[in-house]
Amino acid sequence: MNPAPPPPSRRHVLQAGGLTAAGLALAACASETEGPQARRTGAAGTPAPRTTFTEPRTKLSGTLSILLWSHFVPSHDKWFDGFVRDWGRRVGVNVRVDHISVNDLPARIAAEMQARQGHDLLQDISTLSRYEPGVTDLSDLVQEADRRWGKQLDLCRRSSFNPNTGKFYAYSPGWSPDPGDYRVSLWQPAGFPNGPETWDDLLKGGSEIKKSKNIQLGLGMSQEIDSNMAARALLWSYGASEQDAQERVVLNSDEAVAAVEFMTRLFKGSMTNEVFSWNASSNNQGLVAGRLSYILNSISAWRTAQGANPKVADDIGFVPALRGPKAALAAQHVMYNWIVPSHAKAIDAAKEFLLHYTANFASVTYHSKLYDLPGWPSLVPQLSGWLDADPFGARPANKLALLKNAVDWSVNIGYPGPANPAVGEVLGTFVIPNMMARAARGEATPKQAVAEADRRIRQIFERWRSRGLVGG
Amino acid sequence: MSAASGSHRAGRRTLADRDGFLAWVFLLPSVVYIVALVAVPFGLAIALAFSDVTVGDPSYDWVGWQNFERNLGDPVFWRALGNTFLFTGVSMLLIVVFGKVLANILVADFRGKWLVRFLVLLPWTTPVALSTIAWLWLLDSIYSPIDWTLRRLGLIDANLNWLGEPTLEMVSVIAVHVWRLTPLAAVIVMAGLVAIPRDLDEAARVDGAGFWRRMFEITVPLTLPVIAVAALFGAILTFTDMTVVYVLTRGGATHSSEVLASWAYVRGIGGGDVGQGASIALFLFPILLAAAIAILRSVRRMEVL
Repeated sequence: MNPAPPPPSRRHVLQAGGLTAAGLALAACASETEGPQARRTGAAGTPAPRTTFTEPRTKLSGTLSILLWSHFVPSHDKWFDGFVRDWGRRVGVNVRVDHISVNDLPARIAAEMQARQGHDLLQDISTLSRYEPGVTDLSDLVQEADRRWGKQLDLCRRSSFNPNTGKFYAYSPGWSPDPGDYRVSLWQPAGFPNGPETWDDLLKGGSEIKKSKNIQLGLGMSQEIDSNMAARALLWSYGASEQDAQERVVLNSDEAVAAVEFMTRLFKGSMTNEVFSWNASSNNQGLVAGRLSYILNSISAWRTAQGANPKVADDIGFVPALRGPKAALAAQHVMYNWIVPSHAKAIDAAKEFLLHYTANFASVTYHSKLYDLPGWPSLVPQLSGWLDADPFGARPANKLALLKNAVDWSVNIGYPGPANPAVGEVLGTFVIPNMMARAARGEATPKQAVAEADRRIRQIFERWRSRGLVGG
Repeated sequence: MSAASGSHRAGRRTLADRDGFLAWVFLLPSVVYIVALVAVPFGLAIALAFSDVTVGDPSYDWVGWQNFERNLGDPVFWRALGNTFLFTGVSMLLIVVFGKVLANILVADFRGKWLVRFLVLLPWTTPVALSTIAWLWLLDSIYSPIDWTLRRLGLIDANLNWLGEPTLEMVSVIAVHVWRLTPLAAVIVMAGLVAIPRDLDEAARVDGAGFWRRMFEITVPLTLPVIAVAALFGAILTFTDMTVVYVLTRGGATHSSEVLASWAYVRGIGGGDVGQGASIALFLFPILLAAAIAILRSVRRMEVL
């Protein structure tokens, strides 16, 4: 029998700890030297764009900390982290990047703003107008970007600029559209081989599919982001909106009542109570599972299916915003808003990084698998070609070609006005999808539901107007 | 040298022997913890509730009772308040009943008792966010294994939409609260059960008292103070919880399962109106205080009797 080994001495423990730390440090250094791969190829052999670099306008140093979402397309984050590290090395700035779930961003940003400390650069995918009093004016940055790359898209500008204060509270270099995603094999037999083009088509085809196949439409009516977007698209298509161009509340209108009446009919004819319980991923799951015939969403559900279930992915088609009695408009699905809090220590570095990031937006678009589109269109001249022949294996290859005109049928939250703080609160407290749901559930008539929502919105606008942040 | 070290040791002994000093030393971590993580945030919440602070503008302006007045005129606030009471009342009742039943099982002697105790305590020891996410998947409208099982057993034809039907949504929220808090109640009641002198029970048996008679004439009256404490914990933890509702339904369409805590979060963080959110959250305090005082007083009365 062997004697029991002696317990490790303090010296042994320290030695082991030191060796482990050294090993970890070496591993970290090794991964850092890999850096971003400047040139890679997509699934169809399309080369990734080269990273461009322009010397910063001022000498930079110190540390820059960045907080942003965990992208729906994971390959983006892998590229982004290397891209940031490479930039930091070249300009002499130590950069730290933290990705967190999109659901956790509002609370995290609010906490940092209240504590007046935290990251130097914050990103969210929804409007950040309510943070205006606590952020740095980025007008000079937008002017510089306009000078370098031409005119910024209107929907990006309206999502980051407050016309009442003349301040760019945020910087919006990119966005994602919100097309309709439909299952071709379901809509073809219903008489719509190219998917629905109008809201009436949606009602007709959706009801037919539900009746014949017991598969429902997927327009959410719960307290989550996709429900917010779907409800707004319907309102705009009927000529209604929560505010007008002068930021006056105008929801209580015949057009809005008609839109809510339509949603009620759409729910009764083609949906089930499932839509009242949805979270942001529910419609993606349902579409990929073959349980939904149509959803309003970005291309991420389909991209996921490409890897997980190619057969389903091939069966998914896209249509632009549905046409209603007055217009064919959809909300942006994602709007990238970056803010630099007033308490940030590395304001110059944050601005220079944003310019570098924007200059490389072709890489952003590519590595997000065409999820992110540029706020300055001149930055991605390849976009049209990519959408015609998807580098990531779409079948047919031009499945995303409709996105070439996405800017024509996409508008910002708050359209026809800007995405002001009141619009942000209306969005964040889900007033519009709740209005739709109240009528659809029979808790109120469409007229009552619109009147109640209008009352809530007026209260919200009044409070922000009294702070001088909303016009009208 | 030896005299100096001797007097030093005597000084240390003197300090260690001072009960008052030691009491403070031992209490200090708890006091610091409570002041830093309870008293300061609570004071901050009161201050914010009377302000117009927003997420983007921490500058403080006094607005008096304005935020509270707005709450009273808001139908969603009243709905959230009603839901909060409903969830708390029903959950508390079920938690106490199931806690008592579980406690009886846990004090009994049988093979594999440790395994049963471990499994029973699991819901309480799992972080609430994690366990609620597991429930979210269990109640999913498409992939619910509960629905799958019920379908396989021929009890239902189609999925039940646990989180989409207003009534089932309430049932689901209450069920998750009961599931996670019953183990806590069981442990508290168990402590009361083992404290009952065995000779009382044996004497009742000798006198021919059956299970139910012993239960309602000996066990329940003697454990009533601890049952009240279990009820108090259950009520407070349900009343103040927002995780279960927020993860499962996010307040529900048309605010059908909204509670004060989730509505405070939606208004304060989602909407950006921190002052308004704080005023909603603060409504919980007087109600909880009154409930706690009432229950603790009745516990003391029971102990005196």
